[in-house]
Amino acid sequence: MQTLLPTHPKEKDRRMPPSAMVPTPATGWQARLTLGFQRQHARTILGSCAHHGPLRVQRPFYPEGDEICHVALLHPPGGVVGGDELRIDVTLHSDARALVTTPAAGKFYRSAGPRARQIQRLRVAAGAALEWLPQENIVYSGARVHAGTHVELQGDARFIGWEILCLGRPAAGERFATGDYRQDFELWRDGEPLYLEHGRYPGGDVILDARWGLQSQPVSATLACVGAPPDGVAAIRAEWEAFTDPTAPRPAEQSEERATATQLDGVLVCRYLGTSTARARRFFTSAWSVLRPKVLGRPPCPSRFWNT
Amino acid sequence: MNPATLPRLLQLCSPTLPVGAYAYSQGLESAVEQGWVRDEASAGAWILGLLDHTVRRLDLPVFARLYGAWQAGDADAARRWNARLYAAREAAELQREDQQLGAALARLLSDLGLEEAEPWRNAPRVCFATLFGLAAARWAIPLPEAATGYAWAWTENQVIAATRLIPLGQTATQRLLVAAGPVIAAAVVDGLKRPDEEIGAAAPGLALAGALHETQYSRLFRS
Repeated sequence: MQTLLPTHPKEKDRRMPPSAMVPTPATGWQARLTLGFQRQHARTILGSCAHHGPLRVQRPFYPEGDEICHVALLHPPGGVVGGDELRIDVTLHSDARALVTTPAAGKFYRSAGPRARQIQRLRVAAGAALEWLPQENIVYSGARVHAGTHVELQGDARFIGWEILCLGRPAAGERFATGDYRQDFELWRDGEPLYLEHGRYPGGDVILDARWGLQSQPVSATLACVGAPPDGVAAIRAEWEAFTDPTAPRPAEQSEERATATQLDGVLVCRYLGTSTARARRFFTSAWSVLRPKVLGRPPCPSRFWNT
Repeated sequence: MNPATLPRLLQLCSPTLPVGAYAYSQGLESAVEQGWVRDEASAGAWILGLLDHTVRRLDLPVFARLYGAWQAGDADAARRWNARLYAAREAAELQREDQQLGAALARLLSDLGLEEAEPWRNAPRVCFATLFGLAAARWAIPLPEAATGYAWAWTENQVIAATRLIPLGQTATQRLLVAAGPVIAAAVVDGLKRPDEEIGAAAPGLALAGALHETQYSRLFRS
């Protein structure tokens, strides 16, 4: 099994200051990580783990007993540049249960031309349950990225996952003025589509400000849950209202923020649109706290990597 | 187009088509409640923006494939594209709207003698475009005209909803429909030539509007 390896000097060179214009090699990193989780009696083990290029997984940990295997995915270069290709394949075999997160936000830097790709394929067998709870992706202005998450469920497989996107860097006053961000989020069960979202965000495009689009908000996020009970949406709304107290005055930066939940055919979807990745995470962890006991029969066990 | 074909297209696009489209605002009622749409200009930005985004990138390319599937007699391909369109609807009421309009059109077409519509009357997932495509293919309406008709019917229904919700005067309503003309034409040209991998959209504001409508206190519309 692979654990975190020392950072290769060449990788270290690629850690870059936040605003750097990155000189891009003709071809970027080709990185691949393939993980397989298996159930062995009461325990879920990371039975197979292969990597190529700068993608790693930390040693699995078990903060809530043997059944659920927690892992953190690492990308030692700390950011993705044009031409990089990251492929992550995660398979949960029958009855396996895993929680996958990342210890830091994903960063996509400005590209001089080539597009970066991060394609994630998550396969969950019948009886298994995956929680896919990565930190946000921060997309610098000028980045050209195709990010895709494809979830394939079999039978009664359960899934809770989220994707949090920050376009531009609001803290630095940077809007997503140029570049191109394409985000596919697809959820399939037994070969049938349950939920398909294909975000297309060209830098400076009308969708960034349109009311039907991103409403000039930098942070947009989607949570999807398969296996939610009928009262899931109402419980999530009640929990968030209790936290935010809609009768109290809200700071100006939250007045345009929206957090919703809706029950589609076979999948519950929560959405956040606003100014803050921390608020998006707060909404989603509150929804996850509601859903986890109902979907997985477990109280929430927040990852030590989340500083919410 | 055969002169006898045009009346069938007009019939299919008419607001009097008994499928109940007038009961749905597709998130517009919620957008008005939120203050996102409040006058002619913001109604135009909302409706024409979605026309140029979701209808162009998602509905029309899928419609072209549905039409092609019906023309080829490939019911399985029609079922697959129907499922993809349905799974791309971003809120419960937007799915239900498609379901109810699609099932109503299936009933109507079946009653009019199109037997292939029969199984869709009670199918668990139906999109309006699927049955619209079936009727267009069987009535020999050429694809570009059929796609234009589909986009026009969507636009007119949205503009009528805006007229009731904001409200807008009759001239403002007609100005919006005039402005929609070139947007529809461009959406059809682009939508019909999109390759499979360029099909799809996400409209976060529409998705929010659809979900917020579920808890809206006072509502005229079902979506």
